[in-house]
Amino acid sequence: MLFDRLQALALLQLGDSAYPAGGFAFSWGLEGLAADGMLANRNELDRIIADQLARRWATMDRILLRRAFYATDSAAIAAIDRLAEAGTSSAEMRDGSRRAGRALLGVWVKLDGPLSVAYRQLVSSDARLGHLPVAQAVVSRDADFTLEATELMSGWTLVTGLVSAAVRLGIVGHVEAQRSQSAARGLLAELLAETPPPDAEPASFTPFIDIAIARGPLRHVRMFTT
Amino acid sequence: MSRIALRSATAEPQIAAARVGIGGPVGSGKTALVERLIPALLTRGIDIAVITNDLVTAEDAERIRRSGLIDPARVSAVEAGACPHTVIREDPTLNIEAADELERRFPGVELILLESGGDNLASTFSRDLTDFWMFVIDVAGGDDIPRKRGPGVIRADLLVINKIDLAPHVGVDLDRMHREALGVRGERPVLLTNCRRGEGIDAIVDLLEREVLFRT
Repeated sequence: MLFDRLQALALLQLGDSAYPAGGFAFSWGLEGLAADGMLANRNELDRIIADQLARRWATMDRILLRRAFYATDSAAIAAIDRLAEAGTSSAEMRDGSRRAGRALLGVWVKLDGPLSVAYRQLVSSDARLGHLPVAQAVVSRDADFTLEATELMSGWTLVTGLVSAAVRLGIVGHVEAQRSQSAARGLLAELLAETPPPDAEPASFTPFIDIAIARGPLRHVRMFTT
Repeated sequence: MSRIALRSATAEPQIAAARVGIGGPVGSGKTALVERLIPALLTRGIDIAVITNDLVTAEDAERIRRSGLIDPARVSAVEAGACPHTVIREDPTLNIEAADELERRFPGVELILLESGGDNLASTFSRDLTDFWMFVIDVAGGDDIPRKRGPGVIRADLLVINKIDLAPHVGVDLDRMHREALGVRGERPVLLTNCRRGEGIDAIVDLLEREVLFRT
């Protein structure tokens, strides 16, 4: 057998764009970039997805996720969560990441995931906690995922969320969306083939995306949380 | 999972707020109904908060915040990502988080009104999100709406027919529309309102007190 069927099925479940964790309400900057005339077609979408994956997810979210995956207890996880808070300069991005993370955690609290239940107690008492990559690590531990499966789920849900938002924004149709997903799948696999050094610090450089998200509250028309 | 939670080992058990959904087509008067329900509920001493799901702007949330009817901090807006169905049914997690957050910030809140974005007749609320939900249609949308038997009309705990004052002006036989609505709903509640003038609001609050808050 080439893979663990149960784990593969669990990955399909948690990595599904329909997984009920609020992902559909986040465009992670696409709505703002489209409104500012910087995103109008599939080529631009692919470039932005590549930026999101290579310059933010792989260097920031993935590092936080790996640390949280191996953290010994809730207090140690919270320290990584605070690093996510401190390392995200845009208030809108911080808020979006926490809302997405808390929604995911909330589902697993209702599913009685033991670490999710314990960590949610801390998150409820500290407004700085609950960032998405940290929550993904927590629920993945409750789902008995390996680190590799956790990273796949995290990267892939970003891709499906971005492409799905682009479809709803009218930037691409459903067929073009599949081409974008296929391209992103290749890039994600390349990124995952490289293991970050153990002392890697979380960092990101996606200025246009960060600005687009930060400008969110200034926009009168706004369908997405980020 | 029970929504009756212990705040601490020594505290009194805290019963979670009842969550009441308000859905319905665009322009049927959902926000106007919320604006009428707020003072009516407060007058009866019911501690409330509000969540709105605006589709493309935060206009409804801002309208309620600026109304002077309720502390603006008790009004939360949840973006629907262009999916008004999804955010109240298939994936209500963001609304659940917003409601949980309101309960954390305002201990003692008894009832949270959750206004959906304008949608169509197939719109329904998840039972994981709401304890009770109502569907608002209006006479100007056409007196054939009940006969179309949309899931919103059929499955809501309460159907509200709003803008009844417009019936003679849009050629609607209100008695027949009411009768047909009761018929397709198996005689479950259908209440008539004119939110502009506050008519019919007390009957809704009576029903909420009786069926949701179990006060009578």
